[in-house]
Amino acid sequence: MVVGDISTGTDVLVIGAGPGGYVAAIRAGQLDLDVTLVEKDAYGGTCLNYGCIPSKAMITASDLAHEAGHAEEMGIYADPEVEMGEMVGWKDGVVDQLTGGVEKLCKANGVELMEGRAEFASEDKARIVHGGEGQGSETVEFEHAIVSTGSRPIEVPGFDFGDDPVLDSRQALALEEVPESLVIVGAGYIGMELAGVFAKLGTDVTVVEMLDSVLPGYEDDLARPVKKRAEELDIDFHFGEAASGWEESGDGITVRTEDEEGTVSEFGAEKVLVAVGREPVTDTLELENAGVETDENGFVQTDDRARTNVDHIYAIGDVAGEPMLAHKASKEGQVAAEVIAGEPSALDYQAVPAAVFTDPEIGTVGMTEQEAQEQGFEPVVGKFPFNASGRALTTGHADGFVRVVADEPSGFLLGAQIVGPEASELIAELGFAIEMGATLEDVAATIHTHPTLSEAVMEAAENALGHAIHTLNR
Amino acid sequence: MVREFKLPDVGEGVAEGEIVSWLVEEGDPVTEDQAVAEVETDKAIVEVPSPVDGTVREIIPEEGEVVEVGSVIITFDVEGEEAEPADETTESATSEQSTESQTETAEEPEVSADEEVSTGEGRVFAAPSARRLARELGVNIATVEGTGPSGRVTEQDVRQAAESPDVQDTSGSTEGPSPMDSSGSTGGPSPESTGGATSGPAPESADRDRTLAAPATRRIAEEQGVNLNAVPATEQRDGEAFVTSEAVMQYAEAQQQAQQEQAETAAATPAGEQVERIQYKGVRKTIGDAMSRSKYTSPHVTHHDTAVVENLVDTRERLKPKAEEQGIRLTYMPFVMKAVVAALKQHPKLNAELDEEAGEILRKKFYNVGVATATDAGLMVPVVDDVDQKGLLQISSEVNEVVQKARDRSISRDELQGSTFSVTNFGAIGGEYATPILNYPEAAILGIGELKQRPVVEDGEVVAKHTLPISLSIDHRIVDGADAAAFANTFIEYVENPELLLLE
Repeated sequence: MVVGDISTGTDVLVIGAGPGGYVAAIRAGQLDLDVTLVEKDAYGGTCLNYGCIPSKAMITASDLAHEAGHAEEMGIYADPEVEMGEMVGWKDGVVDQLTGGVEKLCKANGVELMEGRAEFASEDKARIVHGGEGQGSETVEFEHAIVSTGSRPIEVPGFDFGDDPVLDSRQALALEEVPESLVIVGAGYIGMELAGVFAKLGTDVTVVEMLDSVLPGYEDDLARPVKKRAEELDIDFHFGEAASGWEESGDGITVRTEDEEGTVSEFGAEKVLVAVGREPVTDTLELENAGVETDENGFVQTDDRARTNVDHIYAIGDVAGEPMLAHKASKEGQVAAEVIAGEPSALDYQAVPAAVFTDPEIGTVGMTEQEAQEQGFEPVVGKFPFNASGRALTTGHADGFVRVVADEPSGFLLGAQIVGPEASELIAELGFAIEMGATLEDVAATIHTHPTLSEAVMEAAENALGHAIHTLNR
Repeated sequence: MVREFKLPDVGEGVAEGEIVSWLVEEGDPVTEDQAVAEVETDKAIVEVPSPVDGTVREIIPEEGEVVEVGSVIITFDVEGEEAEPADETTESATSEQSTESQTETAEEPEVSADEEVSTGEGRVFAAPSARRLARELGVNIATVEGTGPSGRVTEQDVRQAAESPDVQDTSGSTEGPSPMDSSGSTGGPSPESTGGATSGPAPESADRDRTLAAPATRRIAEEQGVNLNAVPATEQRDGEAFVTSEAVMQYAEAQQQAQQEQAETAAATPAGEQVERIQYKGVRKTIGDAMSRSKYTSPHVTHHDTAVVENLVDTRERLKPKAEEQGIRLTYMPFVMKAVVAALKQHPKLNAELDEEAGEILRKKFYNVGVATATDAGLMVPVVDDVDQKGLLQISSEVNEVVQKARDRSISRDELQGSTFSVTNFGAIGGEYATPILNYPEAAILGIGELKQRPVVEDGEVVAKHTLPISLSIDHRIVDGADAAAFANTFIEYVENPELLLLE
């Protein structure tokens, strides 16, 4: 303990108030545990402040602007004018409402809120360092701790997020003006989502990707409609090239890339956005003082009850490993709190859904056909293209498909992949079906509302069973 | 890669089959679903299809050999993948698919080879609510057999799995039938009972006077030997029952099946599926072992008597509100325990045990009373120590506590050991007398019947009085019948005059 420290005690110390941490804290509070939640920056974490929510706000706004200006086919002629500062202001309002809500919910559930950065001092003590000169620190003694410090963007050598024209996703979502041109380094989901936003707002977008396709983590046929649509929006792609540096030039910058053979290319732009992935924030915690181990990538290893190698210390969300998804973090937070309270809780979900908010959207859950095969199932797939969906055609977005993967002998659903309109919403039904242990027949025999996009889910299941109505069977 | 193929479950409940003929030879190329062998079971000859495209690597059993379901009969080199040395076949095939979850289940005996091929990595299909219930009940859901669609594990399956290892005795709180359930009612619907219903008597005859049917249907009925008037009508025409040819065929088949099943049932197991088989293991077996050891080690003698306990009832009624003020629910048990200890002090032979090895009788100068308790897991005997040194309220609160702990299974081993004498209150469920089995190696156990009003003769008149029947079992090796009777008399004196306990 440092001289002058104030020491307090708590049942559960939650470090980090993102979607994992605040959910854990609230749940623990509901279970009558004494909870202290420490946050160094903003309640709601990356998700609410700099990630999911602001990006989705900007995607919606840019979609609206773009669609209004490109609806001649439907007889609509408009030329929307975008006031970027106001758009960002609206987005900030949404964020403020949500983060304020988190704070209120925490307090209403008896969660003690504390601002500062936590460091472990020992197995049962943490020091909370308050920001700013002379703010000092205090010590919290805990029975249990939940580490939920999340992740941060990975920097590429030569691109320092502190430099003005170099943006991380957080800075890109806070721009006051639409840049005229933008180089995006990385064609993963963050890069592709933001490429869509800025292209629709009128920015000249160039995407540079080291690998050979967009959305490298996804199957080719899912990524293809996204790339096709991006090209329609005049996004310029350069695959097989790694960003190696940048320099100021005239009224903008020049970004240099290099391919495997060492060939250098140069791209002029106003700004460069680096979105090559995220890394867990575990290096500021002094985990070693508590004896908590991390793997070579900095992730904390946990068991099915979110426990680390130290029994009373838990880790949830991005720090506990892939997939780095807010909803996974929240579920882990609930489980950690329940386990601490002595409830028979465990992380035994069958599948974690994921969504990419590109144009068109991608939604996935569970296994791909290949994964099912590798895991010893006898997979059968069923597919339904949105261009056979009445509702999809009436939205003006009929690219993409729904695909279901099931175990043929038993009919159990194992996974699903959707690319197309509202894929992020549609995937929920299939996630539910997988968790419930539903079979293809269960999904196919459930009446789906007509005319909706969700009919495509039913049709895909029917296709897998060999009796689809609106498509030719496999 | 080498792919092993195990003889699948070729017919319902078939455990083995004879390889009638191999349709392929080693080195032959095969395609998926191509028949590779004919296997005869006690029901039929079936063709066994290849699960993969590849080449036959090894044929294991010879024609004519009888093989068990689940044993490897043939291996394939899977197309496009490199072959491995033959001696690594088994090892590689298992390690290839092994994951943590499989390692866990690998120790379990395999149910069926077919299942392993088709259901992937030992994944369990169950709704989240069933998974949570399994955790709550401490059931490993991976070991539960599912009865839902396609073998999905339902909440009911989990509950049954939770109950099966140690089925209840005196506790009536569990769902479903228990072996002691003499009423014969089977509780809620269970998969077993549903399954059992299918092998029932012949389908009910509709037994009409007049039935409409197409000529072709009438011919079919004649061929099948079916009385059209007995076939359940699927629809009505002009207000009359109309029977289709399908209905006739269904009826005929059902009738044949029922006849066959009846014949089979008669020949094989008369009780058929009306008998539920429950594993004798876990807590149930522990209790059983302790009972037989006690019963067959100590010669039991049981002494019966009845106390007239009007005063006890009054006393308890008076003290009950006082106890409640202190948050304690006062039952008769603390009075019984105090009376037991008072009697034991006067008859120390009953607070003893026989150390057979040392050849010594151990008389105990401390008074720890065990209280037999029916729990969901079975009979347990939590112990209240040093009853002689405690007041009624303290005993009351301690009994309540240990009994509750026994019921919710949070009781520690220590709290179940060290009794010197036990009390069993079968009267809480009902009844007058029973033969308590000694909580071995204790020398005696007191059984308490139901305390209620019974006819008592007083001054030549029959009057209704509260009476307490008691059954005292003793180890006749070290306690004589006279000792038992003397102890019982003292005990009765105390419960009939509870104010005497004040002198203790």
